Amino acid sequence: MVIPIALPILDESMGGGIPPGKSLLYCIQPGVEGDVFGMQTLYYGLENGYKAVYISTSSSPDYVRERFREFGWELESYEGQLDFVDAYSHFVGLDSNEKYVVDDPDDINNIDSVVIDATKNTSNSIIMCESLSSIMDMCGEIETIAKVNEWTRLSMLYDNTSIYNFTAWHYSDETIKKIRSEVFNSVIRVGGIGERVIFGQYFGVMKADWCEPSRKTFLFRIVRPGGVRVYIPKILVTGPFDAGKTTFVHALSTRAVSVDRFGTTVALDHGHIDHKGLSADIFGTPGQERFDPILKLLGGESMGVFLVVDSMRSNTFARAKDMLKLTKTFGLPCIVIANKQDVPGAAPPERIKIEMALPDDIPVVPVSSKEKTGVVEAFEMLVDNIMRGL
Amino acid sequence: MTDYELGIPDIDDALGGGIRGGTNILVLGPPMSGKDTIINNIIYHGLASKEAAIIVSTEESGEDMLEWFSNSGMSVDAYMNLFGIVDCVSATLGLDVKDTASIRRVSGPMNLTKISVNITNYFNEFWMKRGVRKARLCVNSLSTMLMYTNLQAIFRFLHVHTRRIKTANSIGFYIVEDGVHDAQTMETFKQLFDGIIKVEVEEGHQFMQIIGLTPQPTKWYEFAIDDDNKLNIKRRSDI
Ligand SMILES: Nc1nc2c(ncn2[C@@H]2O[C@H](COP(=O)(O)OP(=O)(O)OP(=O)(O)O)[C@@H](O)[C@H]2O)c(=O)[nH]1
Ligand SMILES: [Mg+2]
Repeated sequence: MVIPIALPILDESMGGGIPPGKSLLYCIQPGVEGDVFGMQTLYYGLENGYKAVYISTSSSPDYVRERFREFGWELESYEGQLDFVDAYSHFVGLDSNEKYVVDDPDDINNIDSVVIDATKNTSNSIIMCESLSSIMDMCGEIETIAKVNEWTRLSMLYDNTSIYNFTAWHYSDETIKKIRSEVFNSVIRVGGIGERVIFGQYFGVMKADWCEPSRKTFLFRIVRPGGVRVYIPKILVTGPFDAGKTTFVHALSTRAVSVDRFGTTVALDHGHIDHKGLSADIFGTPGQERFDPILKLLGGESMGVFLVVDSMRSNTFARAKDMLKLTKTFGLPCIVIANKQDVPGAAPPERIKIEMALPDDIPVVPVSSKEKTGVVEAFEMLVDNIMRGL
Repeated sequence: MTDYELGIPDIDDALGGGIRGGTNILVLGPPMSGKDTIINNIIYHGLASKEAAIIVSTEESGEDMLEWFSNSGMSVDAYMNLFGIVDCVSATLGLDVKDTASIRRVSGPMNLTKISVNITNYFNEFWMKRGVRKARLCVNSLSTMLMYTNLQAIFRFLHVHTRRIKTANSIGFYIVEDGVHDAQTMETFKQLFDGIIKVEVEEGHQFMQIIGLTPQPTKWYEFAIDDDNKLNIKRRSDI
């Protein structure tokens, strides 16, 4: 019986879950709340009658219980099924009443003997290591990896499924390589999107040696209570009146609706795109100035923006730039859509870039929304810019 | 371009108006020399200027931190939606560890992963939800963190966060006790920072100096902390 990861999309892409004896590593970019995935798997496992061992390496078991509680997950209800290996309390001089206690949490041999003890006392269970990186910080990279190799081997013998969290600080290349490709049966990468601040988080399977995992990347949010929620990013399409926003949204979207009257948008355009495993919701704004007051409401929570301009009408470019400010999307990843390139005499992108005095990080992409050329390229470019912080 | 005022007029003047966004500053001084008060004044000036502020506190609980401000005539009540504390203390004392909107607890000063998550989440909220583009981060202190984990781990942590300060055009302050750490530790830290606020105490007088942000270090300024914990530069002294 495989242990479900408890996130349908991950279970799907990993053959239903983690088979007994296999190990899974969450390789987490610093700052991203990636340990909730493992917590969710663990809790779901408990609910379904599995036993579990939680190795707490950087917090006391009581703190861990409190953290689970934030998500609505009461570990107390499963006291009989869950044991802690407390590899923290003695380090900060706290007492511990847990079944397994490490006396010397900065001594890898001490951790090792307690973990082995706990692993051998349980089978068909979930073993969860709170933070591999904190053990490394304390005990050394090479020393820790040597022991983890042993722990995963033992888990295999006892049919335990093991889950490790690892914060990917700048460890040595050798360590990172081993962690990502050698030590574990499967690796899921959890990262953040954004350069100035991390405004989105994603995950994707990097490796799973028991199946052919899908290469998709998913965005997610952490909700309390609740846990991990897969999240569809919002992309805004704005620009001056008649620039071709509605046409662009429809050209890009797998499905779309617009609220138009007499050929102009009076509410908004809404589309949804699925492209190469990444989905996004697309929202188009009206362009007429009489709608300016509502623009700021539409821009909220966008992760990127397409600024559509009519390549024939340079007198609207100033208005176009204003609209970035009006939608409060100024500073987000942005692509300028030089639309209507099919019309003879359309200004080339390079000229638009100069006329609009755009900064280097805002590319201008030639597009004909009418003929659907350049549309997908622009989307890929924006997603790429959104993801550049990876 | 100077994006951030310290709120200490003489020193802001000496720096040509303040400090550029993207700067990471080491705050170095012997224990009890007034580093915390200086930094809290600087943080408060930011809040009062409608900038965001995040304090990673390894020595005082979040509640104690807030109380310090209100007892000091620097009430932060009006700025709570711009203020975030990462409390690394409460859990180690066995106190209540429930989070509040502006106090997020981590298990202890060595839990760099959670400290990092909380800093990141605060930055994200201030930037995305509140639309605030300026933020001050203060880590108080690296010296305590060093008692719980090793230099390399802290270096890796700082490597990430000093870079984020740079790209976000924020400013960061990192407090270190002078005369406590070995030379190698100090060298390692110094690589990460653009400047130093140096604090000294001599025969009961307190002095500060800024190094690295102007072509020459500034002169030493004598300062005093009044009953309201407000920092004042003493004018007469040209040391
Ligand atoms: N030749 C050409 N015409 C286009 C293109 N894109 C849009 N149009 C035409 O431009 C006009 C305006 O297009 P819309 O998509 O409604 O423009 P909009 O920006 O949504 O307009 P508002 O919502 O009123 O601001 C329509 O007549 C479209 O057929 C294009 O790529 N080439
Ligand atoms: Mg329209």
